[in-house]
This record gives sequence, structure tokens and C-alpha cells, in this order.
Amino acid sequence: MTEALLGLLAMMVLAFVRIPIALSMAVVGIIGYAYMRDWTWGSAFAMAQTKIYETGRNYTLSVVPLFILMGNFVTRAGMSQELFRAAYAFIGHRRGGLAMATIVGCAGFGAICGSSIATAATFAKVAYPSMKRFNYADYLSTGSIAAGGTLGILIPPSTIMVIYGIMTETNIGKLFAAGVLPGILATVLLCLAVQYVTWRDPKAGPPGERTPWRERWATIAGLQWFAAVGVILWLAVHFGKLETDDAAVIGAFVVFVMSLRYKGVAGVIALFTLVMGGIYGGVFTAVEGAGVGAFGAMIFAIARRALGWRGLYEALLESARTTSMLFMILIGALMFAEFVNITSMPADLRNFVSQFEVHPLAVVAAIMVIYVILGTAMEELSMILLTVPLFFPLIVHLGLDPVWFGILIVVVVEIGLISPPVGMNLFVLNTLLPEVPTRTIFRGVMPFVIVDCVRLAILTAFPIISTLLPSYMK
Amino acid sequence: MTEPETAWERRIDAVLGIAASALLFGMMCLTFVDVVARYLFNSPIRGGFEITELVLLVLIFAGLPLVSHGDEHVTMDFIDRMLPARAVSALIRVVHALVAALFFFLTWQMLIKAGRIASYGDTTDVLRIAVAPFVYFMVAMIFLTALVHVFKVFKPGTRRASQGTN
Repeated sequence: MTEALLGLLAMMVLAFVRIPIALSMAVVGIIGYAYMRDWTWGSAFAMAQTKIYETGRNYTLSVVPLFILMGNFVTRAGMSQELFRAAYAFIGHRRGGLAMATIVGCAGFGAICGSSIATAATFAKVAYPSMKRFNYADYLSTGSIAAGGTLGILIPPSTIMVIYGIMTETNIGKLFAAGVLPGILATVLLCLAVQYVTWRDPKAGPPGERTPWRERWATIAGLQWFAAVGVILWLAVHFGKLETDDAAVIGAFVVFVMSLRYKGVAGVIALFTLVMGGIYGGVFTAVEGAGVGAFGAMIFAIARRALGWRGLYEALLESARTTSMLFMILIGALMFAEFVNITSMPADLRNFVSQFEVHPLAVVAAIMVIYVILGTAMEELSMILLTVPLFFPLIVHLGLDPVWFGILIVVVVEIGLISPPVGMNLFVLNTLLPEVPTRTIFRGVMPFVIVDCVRLAILTAFPIISTLLPSYMK
Repeated sequence: MTEPETAWERRIDAVLGIAASALLFGMMCLTFVDVVARYLFNSPIRGGFEITELVLLVLIFAGLPLVSHGDEHVTMDFIDRMLPARAVSALIRVVHALVAALFFFLTWQMLIKAGRIASYGDTTDVLRIAVAPFVYFMVAMIFLTALVHVFKVFKPGTRRASQGTN
């Protein structure tokens, strides 16, 4: 156990002196591995070679660049603007309405984008100017954008779920399905937090203008036709004229083609149905879903005249760079995990738990507390990559559901992303909105961090919220 | 330290950028066409997943010099606020030297791996594509990445807006 902890410490020290995190993990992984094998460097080097080669040449991992690409296309297609406008039309005239519209808009955007940072960044551009115009306090507007952004990784698709799924060999489709209900819960809780803030300080979030019902319906134009297609296909399946799979594919295709005609929410729902419906219904795998999603998002962006050659190249290049960077971290973490796995740490943890007959739920609760604390200071992806190899065997040993644990992991990452001092979403806002002082951003996000912790407790206590939808999957 | 990029830097950036973008575009189309062909015509692309694997390998490592050149590796920068600016810039140079050494080491290791793969004559299962050239490409890219870091010891340059991982 000591070796693993020393390794962790060494890695932190290297990272602290500015060695890239990926390489810090790789170096400690290789040296630690050699140490555990009585300084046989040959076996450690062979391990490193294998990890680099096999992580690069791995079909399942191609899901990562494809989902990143999909996110980049939808960001360029201007869908965040349309989502915010639609949410504003319905709830903008309430107290704190624009902040709630931001959160609901982020939730919608999260359904087609798997990145928290991309979601926060796009809403900083779309929602912040509107809130400024209506005299929202900066702390409320930045807080709601930072917190709303984290919905990007909870509501499928989600980069974190993909990486957790690959590391632990958990079904990615099931993880995606599991994220839907917690995502809705999160949206509701974050809106309640907005209500609390504006109840304490009504001047922070004055109501926006009331939108006439005609215009409200216009933002969701096209949905009635989607519903009609759904009913027709359902009837066809019901009376045995169509196979369920075929109906799903025809439905997704028809809805997708129709949605190219409509501005507003219709496109988001179509894209979500196409990708998640396909994966949930078992029509295609996560990799295929990502490929279809990226392709669909590209067609959308082109149809909306938001993507020229230049934009296409930039979206591809940006995604390729992000992919390389992510894979370096992944490779580094896998080397570190190889080292940890041959130390006594995993077994020690297991023995510790069985020796004291700790209740499984108490174990999970303890792990979550550790994560929330670590998350305030650590970069979240490396935190997960470093610690999941330690905790996951314990979860399996206790007979707990890996899908449920995966959702809890996503939620602690969400909290880590917005908890000061080190939270990526806060940094993004800091960079994009330099006129807002860092202190204001830190203060504004606190109520949201608190409701997120409440949500974590709820999801820990009631696994059914996460496991209900995946239980219907084939 | 905002010296303009040299023509060479721009040229290498552009070549690798176009290559990585084209590969990603290809991967997306391949996956899409594979799904459509399998669903509509019941005939998936033969060996499609093998091509995806090799494309992914090349894509990741073609992007690596770009990430290094843009200083986009995820790095903790607490220390920047603790040390005076002069010390930070000296530290950055030292770190680039260390990172370069590490990438040279990895180049050497992957060269061994590539040699072994070449000597076994490894090919993919379905299409019988020889794997070794792809691994040699990977070695070349890791080597180029090491050179980028050597270059940065002397010319650290400016950071691109750092990006997140999530």
C-alpha cells in the first residue's frame, strides 16, 4: 500500500513543478512498475511499449474523437443560441428566469455535446450578454453558466462516461442511458438554486420580458410533426406491420430530415433521438452512434449555413488536437494503473473493508467524500483515471452496480469542475469573461456546488434513479 | 516572448494539421458509411474496424507534435503564482528539456517495438495490412514531438488558450 501512495505523491510533485500530468503519471508508472518487479527495467519498458501501442490501436476508443467532433460541430451550428432562446421564451419572464433558461439550455445542449467545458464556453458567449442586458448580478450569471455547463457530461453523450466505460469495461450505452434521469434531476435542482439565490437577493436576477405564446410555440416548431411520426410508427409496430428496429431507424431518419427545415429546438431533439435512440435501442454501438452523430451534426451545421470549408477544417483540427491531448493523459494513466495494480493497494483496500464489515453504502459514501475533496484541487480527468483503478475492484467486490458507480463518478467530476480553487469551468469563464473578477465567479458558484452535493447524496442513496433506464436495455 | 512563428513552424503545423483533420474526417465517414451499408444492404465494409484502428493510431500521434507545439498538454500551474516571473520562465525551459528527454526515451522504446512488429511481419486479420509502417510513423511523430520540446527550450513561445479535458 505504501508504494502506491508514494507513487501518487511522487506524481503530484512532478505535476506541481509543471511536468505535464500525462508524463508525470507515465514516469511514475514506469519507475514504480520496475521497482515492484525488483528493478527489472525490461518488464517495465515492455509494459510502457504495450500501453502506448495498444491504447493507440483500439477500436472502441475511436468513440472519443468522434463524440468530440460531434460536439465541435454542434457548437458551430449555433444550436446553443436557439436552445437558450427557446428556454427564455418559456421561463425568461420569471424571477431569475434568464439564469434558469441558461441551465435548461445547457441541459439541452448537453444532450448533443459530451463536454462540460464546451457547454460552459458556448453559453458564456450566448447567455452572459443577455443576462448583462437585464442587469443580472455577475455572480449569478457566471455561477449558473459554470454549473449549467457541467450538465454537458452528465446528460449523454459524455466524454467522461466513455472513458470510465472503457477503463472499467462497463457498457457505454448503459452509462449513457443511466445519465438521463440524474440529468433531469440536476436541471431541476440547479433551477431551485437559482430560485434560492434570487429569493435572497431579488436584484441579482430580475425577470426578463414576457414572450407571447405565438413566439413560444415558434421556438419548438416541428415537434408536433415529430410526435405524429412517432405515433404512426408506434401504431405500425403495434399492428405488426414493422419491426421495432426498422421503425426506430425510419423514425430517426425521417425526424432528422424534417428537422433540417426547422430552427429551434427541433434539431437538438432530432440529433439526440438519432444518436441516443440508436444506441439505447441497440441499433448501433457507441462507436457507431458517435460516427453517425458527428456526421449528422456536420449535415446540420452545413444546412444552417454555419459551416464552410474553413469552419469544417477548424472543427476537425480542434477535435484532433483535443483527441491527442486526451490520449496522452489516458496512456499515462494506464501506465500508472499498471503499477498500482501490482502493488498491494487494491487488496489492502478490500481487506480493510471486509475486516471492519463496513456497510457497502458507507464505503461508497466515503469514496465520494474523498472525491469531492480531491476535486477541489485536482484536475478532474486525471483524478478519475488515477483513482478508478483503485476503487473499482472494491465496488465489484462489494457487488455494487458499476453503471451506478459510473454516474456517481460523473457527478463528482461535475462538482470538481465548479469547485474553487481548481475548477476547469471556472477557468473557462475567467478566460472568456475577463471583466468579471475571479472572486465573483467563485462566490457565485457556491450555491450550485451545494445543490450538486445534495444531488450526489440523493443519487448515492437512491441507485434506482440511475439504474432504471439502463435496466430496460437489451 | 512573443516572437513570430518561423516559416518552418507554420509549415509543419499546417502539414500535420491537414493530415490529422483528413484522418478524422475519414474516420467519421467510414463509421457512418459502415453503419448505413450494414443496415440498408446488410453488408458492412470489409475490415472497416481494422482501418478505424490504424487511422486512430496515426491520428493520435500526428496530433501529438501539434499539442506540444501549442503547449496544450494539461499542466498544473499553481507554481506560477508562487515564483517570480523570471524563475517561472527558467523553470519552463528546464521542464521542456526534461519532457524532450522523456520523448526521446519513448522514441527509443517504440523503435524497439516497431522493429519487433516488423520482424514478425504483423498484419491485420482481415485485410492483411502490414502494421509496421504505422508503428514507424508513430515513432517518427514521437521523435518530432521530442524535437519540438528541444526547440521550446530555446524559444518557449506563447501559450495557446489552454483547453479542458472534459
